[in-house]
Amino acid sequence: MTVFAGVASRAAQGAAAGPRPVPWPGMLWVTWRQHRGLLITVAVGFCVAVAGMLVTGLRIHHDYALLSTCHPAASAACQGLSNFFTSTDWHEGQFVHVAVQAAPVLVAMFAGPPVVARELEARTFRFAWTQGIGRVRWTAAKLALLGSALVLPAFVISQLLTWLYAPFLRTQGLTDLTPTVFDTSGLCYAAWTLVAFCLGAFLGALVRRTLAAMAVTLGSYIGLAALTWFYLRNHYPVKTYWPMQLFEAGWLLILSAALVGGTLWLVRRYAA
Amino acid sequence: MSVLTLPAQPGQQTAPPPPPVPWRRMVWVTWRQHRATLISVPAVLAAVAVFLVIFGLKAHHDYAALVHCSLNQGQQTQACAQAFRTFNSSDWPLANTCSILMQLAPVLIGAFAGAPLLARELETGTFRFAWTQGVGRERLAIAKLALLAVTLVVLAGAFGELFSWFFQPFLWTEEMNRLTETVFDTSGIVFPAFTLVAFAIGAFLGMLFRRVIPALAATLGVYLAVRLVAWGVRKYYPVAVVTGNTKIFSQFQTPRVPGYPWILSSWVTGPGGQAASPSVANQILNGPPGGSIPPGYTEWNRWIPLSHYWPMQFIEAGWLLVLSIALFAATVSLVRRRAA
Repeated sequence: MTVFAGVASRAAQGAAAGPRPVPWPGMLWVTWRQHRGLLITVAVGFCVAVAGMLVTGLRIHHDYALLSTCHPAASAACQGLSNFFTSTDWHEGQFVHVAVQAAPVLVAMFAGPPVVARELEARTFRFAWTQGIGRVRWTAAKLALLGSALVLPAFVISQLLTWLYAPFLRTQGLTDLTPTVFDTSGLCYAAWTLVAFCLGAFLGALVRRTLAAMAVTLGSYIGLAALTWFYLRNHYPVKTYWPMQLFEAGWLLILSAALVGGTLWLVRRYAA
Repeated sequence: MSVLTLPAQPGQQTAPPPPPVPWRRMVWVTWRQHRATLISVPAVLAAVAVFLVIFGLKAHHDYAALVHCSLNQGQQTQACAQAFRTFNSSDWPLANTCSILMQLAPVLIGAFAGAPLLARELETGTFRFAWTQGVGRERLAIAKLALLAVTLVVLAGAFGELFSWFFQPFLWTEEMNRLTETVFDTSGIVFPAFTLVAFAIGAFLGMLFRRVIPALAATLGVYLAVRLVAWGVRKYYPVAVVTGNTKIFSQFQTPRVPGYPWILSSWVTGPGGQAASPSVANQILNGPPGGSIPPGYTEWNRWIPLSHYWPMQFIEAGWLLVLSIALFAATVSLVRRRAA
């Protein structure tokens, strides 16, 4: 904690006086003030997504209920329902699914890198990092607040998608373990969102330029996701849904913690 | 041309014509300011291209085995069934991932190249220097837009061709064709056209917002809207044909000619030409392809044959090009009007 730029009088209090508690309300205000564009966009996008998914999901479930109670299944009327379900409904379901899959990295690309890189680029770090709270805790508080502002909505979205997509698991030959379904259900989706955000923050601190860090974040995330899909997942020690979910969420959480640690270490080392 | 900051030349009654554009210098300036983009975009595309060639050769090889199987032995034999399983479980997931990334490629390239083009000059204040050079701010903007646009379109065109070759084996097994939205968008001249329009949207929004990151985010949204509009209007292009059949429309495909035609709408008329009753119509429309139809009834289809791929490509690339040019013009007009 040697990096604290505490006022001189605090030095007189002796080594026994630990750092003061983090002023969370203050940091909440600072985070909101610095990232309000992002936070408003995420909130609006979240509300629109939830509304859209509810409307689409209710229709899909309605159509599926009609289809599954239709007798006899070979009749022309039932065939018509089936055709509609496997074309129009399935098409919309796929569209929602792809959009949800792309969302974490696209949001994290805009949320992560600016946390440190924009302070450096705009030179506001000279002011921000010399406050009483200290630069490490300043950054840690912003990461914690922004991280939760992304991960909690992501968790809600993934649960909503699981509900919306459930009928297709029965009609389209998919299972819980199909990579695209696995990624967007359970704990994995929230964990991937978190890791994307932490990756962005770390690369922002490393590259020190927002735009470049955004591009690198995108590339690294795609690389990590591809590696997981085509290699790592085949080598998990567990093979059923919930153990696999916990295992994947676990290592993603550890990776996120390491990336946050790396970010704070870079912030601490940076010569102000 | 009133904005040119030429030195005053007393004694001349009328303003002299502006000096010719120093294109070679403009190339240098563009390169110098955007070398990160101009290096990283081709480098990333080249790396992905190497992967696509290697993986594509394997996919084409596996596909040739499949075609051989189904033409000679049918799909019944053990070896053929195994070949199909391998193709669907190992080749297709990777190709599908590539296809999804390929959908994002135009907007990512376009937004990262377009949004900072003018917004960064305004954000960092370098526009005060850049825009007061003898060449003039409009011609500076036009030169940068044109040089980057041409570079991106050429790169995207070449990359799209490579991807189309790579993706070709999967059309048949995944029941797609060249008119399927995601395939149509990533092939021919439509793929570079989407890249161009993404770049134009980025440049325009960058000049409008004057800040890089918000412009970049907005570009993603606006591009998505353009793409959805394109998907929505595509079926109204004047390329569809209407045919009446006395057998149920046969949607055949072979490994050599993959894909069904795109059927926009179907309806049934009874004897005498009036619309058939819903129950008969349903029976015919949902009947097996190639099946017989009761005498006197006709099944009508409004559909787009696969052979109309190129007219559709030209129509779509055409309006995307017009939209891009309009956005470039709006961008230059904003540059002209911005008080330096």
